[in-house]
Amino acid sequence: MVNNSEGSAGQAAYTNVPDRAVTVEEAYDDLLRRSLSQISGDLARLIYLASTRDYNTGKYRHDGLAARFRLDIACKALELAHRQIFYRIATYPLERLVGEVELYVSASQQGREEILQVWQKLEPYRVALPVNVNVALAQLFVSNIKLALAIVQRRPKPRAMGASAS
Amino acid sequence: MMEFASVITGAVLLLLLTAAALRGWLASRPWGAGPAAGEEDTSEPCPEELVSRVFSRADWEFVRGLKAGGIERLFEQERKKVALVWVRQTSALIRKVISEHARAVRQNENLEFSTEINIFAQFLMLMAVCGILSAAIQLAGPLWLGGLASVAQRLSQRVSKLQETFQTVGLTNAGEAKSA
Repeated sequence: MVNNSEGSAGQAAYTNVPDRAVTVEEAYDDLLRRSLSQISGDLARLIYLASTRDYNTGKYRHDGLAARFRLDIACKALELAHRQIFYRIATYPLERLVGEVELYVSASQQGREEILQVWQKLEPYRVALPVNVNVALAQLFVSNIKLALAIVQRRPKPRAMGASAS
Repeated sequence: MMEFASVITGAVLLLLLTAAALRGWLASRPWGAGPAAGEEDTSEPCPEELVSRVFSRADWEFVRGLKAGGIERLFEQERKKVALVWVRQTSALIRKVISEHARAVRQNENLEFSTEINIFAQFLMLMAVCGILSAAIQLAGPLWLGGLASVAQRLSQRVSKLQETFQTVGLTNAGEAKSA
């Protein structure tokens, strides 16, 4: 979960919400500009957006966005972004998705082998599905990620930058 | 003797084809193979790119280029699974549209016979295409069936549009009857 504190400190952050009418589009643009543009790769963006959703309520929460807009507007903007990025990634050609998985794995703090093994065993990417998504599309996404993981695991580990320079 | 062998071979082939079609038709029905949770719930429409992606040969060419038998088998298995989910979903959607249509028809006094025949014919054709698709996917996998899948998708969109038109006309007629 990212910035999902439900306590009184979290509530106090929303006192500076602007009075003027704000739209979901404004919040969405803000989210793209400030947060999502800092993340490299659509798969990493999808995982990030899914992590802003509460497992129990299904509501999205992002304290920074809610502080600049409103809690409900921030929630809708996050949901919209999640859905859009999911639709894009679910219909990616397999080769491109393999590249996304490769990028995600190499950008992670954990070891490549560890991530690949955990993703294949626990299938955490299933949590990245937006609610009420088309079942066939969800199945395509899960199947393609499974395939991409198998392909990445089979590929030789890319050399580190420093190693290739020496 | 040769003629007899040909007849036997033909009969066996016919039996196999019938069994495959029957299996496919049953698999495309909700009470056949039993749909996974949510397949009947078509709350969000199927995006058009899905069919071209699932039945795409480009992904297959990529996988084949890797020259890894295990991944090729996994690809075939996974694509078959997705294709069958899509066929079941399309069948479920079309059954839903037809049952809604039948309900609307019972309340409508100004039926157009030609429109009804048209809708029913398209429904039958679509169910047949879904049955054949389902059987063919199970036998050969989805990679050779892109054309047939596109036909099924176009037909299902046409039937849904016909139903929408019918509903709009029905609502207009009901409104006029009320105001009169």
